[in-house]
Amino acid sequence: MSTNTAQHKAPLLLGLLLLLQVLLMSWNARTQAGDQSVLRAWVMAVITPVAKGTGWTIDRVTGFFDGFAELRHARDENVQLKIEIERLTQERDEAVEKAAVKNNLEAELGLRLLPRFRSLAASVISRNIAVWFRRLTIDRGSMDGIKKDMPVLTSSGIVGRVIEVGPNSSFVQLITDRYAGVGAMLQQSREMGEIRGQENSRCEMKAVAASVDVQVGDKIITTGLDGIYPKGLPVGTVESVENDANAPWKKILVKPSAPVDRVEHVFVLLIEPKDLKALEAFK
Amino acid sequence: MQTFKIAASIVVALLLQILFAKRFSFFQYVELPLVITVFFSLQRSPIQGMFVGMAAGLGLDIVSGGDAIGVRGFSFTLLGYVIAMGSIRFSLEQKPVRILVTAVASIANTVLFVGLCKVLEKNVLTNGPDELLKLALYKAIGDTAAGLILFILLDRIFPRTGSTTIKRRFYE
Repeated sequence: MSTNTAQHKAPLLLGLLLLLQVLLMSWNARTQAGDQSVLRAWVMAVITPVAKGTGWTIDRVTGFFDGFAELRHARDENVQLKIEIERLTQERDEAVEKAAVKNNLEAELGLRLLPRFRSLAASVISRNIAVWFRRLTIDRGSMDGIKKDMPVLTSSGIVGRVIEVGPNSSFVQLITDRYAGVGAMLQQSREMGEIRGQENSRCEMKAVAASVDVQVGDKIITTGLDGIYPKGLPVGTVESVENDANAPWKKILVKPSAPVDRVEHVFVLLIEPKDLKALEAFK
Repeated sequence: MQTFKIAASIVVALLLQILFAKRFSFFQYVELPLVITVFFSLQRSPIQGMFVGMAAGLGLDIVSGGDAIGVRGFSFTLLGYVIAMGSIRFSLEQKPVRILVTAVASIANTVLFVGLCKVLEKNVLTNGPDELLKLALYKAIGDTAAGLILFILLDRIFPRTGSTTIKRRFYE
């Protein structure tokens, strides 16, 4: 076929290619159950190790040069860290003592203890590739035991939940995504509400009555009632509170405890919604 | 060889998109595969523009973790065709015009993407026309800035040949 003939058949080809995309969208919409579609699973299976390897190399190279720059501040930092270690040692001793007292009380009162959940460490391959979603890609998938709706967190708080699982990678919806929801409560007052994602790496706590006393800096934890996150995980702290005389609810802006937009490594709690339900029944 | 080089460019653009988005938050406003699509579509071959657009769009759909695979594939394929047809009828190869084409393609892509997602009832982070306009402008700036750099690089890898001029004559 000459170039000219081929180019004149372009409108027909365009129609075919667009139809193919429409069929793909339709097929993809039908096969959404937490597992990645075959096409995505194949591509991600290939691209994940490459992206991981390239990212690792870039980190090592930039880390090498950053290391030189940071050496200048190492001395001052060392002094600060020694002071911090002393403070943390004191706090740890107090916490150990409190835990021992708590365990004794629980044993005496016959309370059933919550089981500890197994977790899996994962590295973040990419985040927020497009402005339209708040998502992370992590380097663990179904081959590592990851399943849809497993909670993802760091040591400082929850990050989000697994929404799509492939063989060696998974997509995580961040709690700052507007379509993400977390059952949460104020740690002090135990007042419950719902966490919804906002712009600028922030969340909003909804459904907290205007009469409830909420202060800036109050801690927010999970309730365990949303069927995704176990109870008691740190969510964030209250950044601002607004009262509207005409609204029955407070407007509470929350800063997530975990650095969701900078996180490099996360833990996936190997717990499924059905395990949480069983846990509630157990309690 | 040329096809292989184009395919490699798409893969590298996707890889860079993944790596840069993790390190620089402003990169969420940039779509390197769209810039690649614009570059190859401006070479006055609608077929090349369509196929590059389809591969780049589908690739971005897949790696971005979005709910709808095929939305960007649709949008980029259409844009690839329209830009290639435009480049046959009008002279779009001057550098300032190319940048303008990238900005317009970025805005058109945003409108197409959000429109298709709404039709498919897929969630995207837009809250009304004001926010959509703001995001479209940010994205246009991001894509144009990326185009400024990427076009210099791509011009070196894919130097213009006489065939692009001949292609216009076929249509005239």
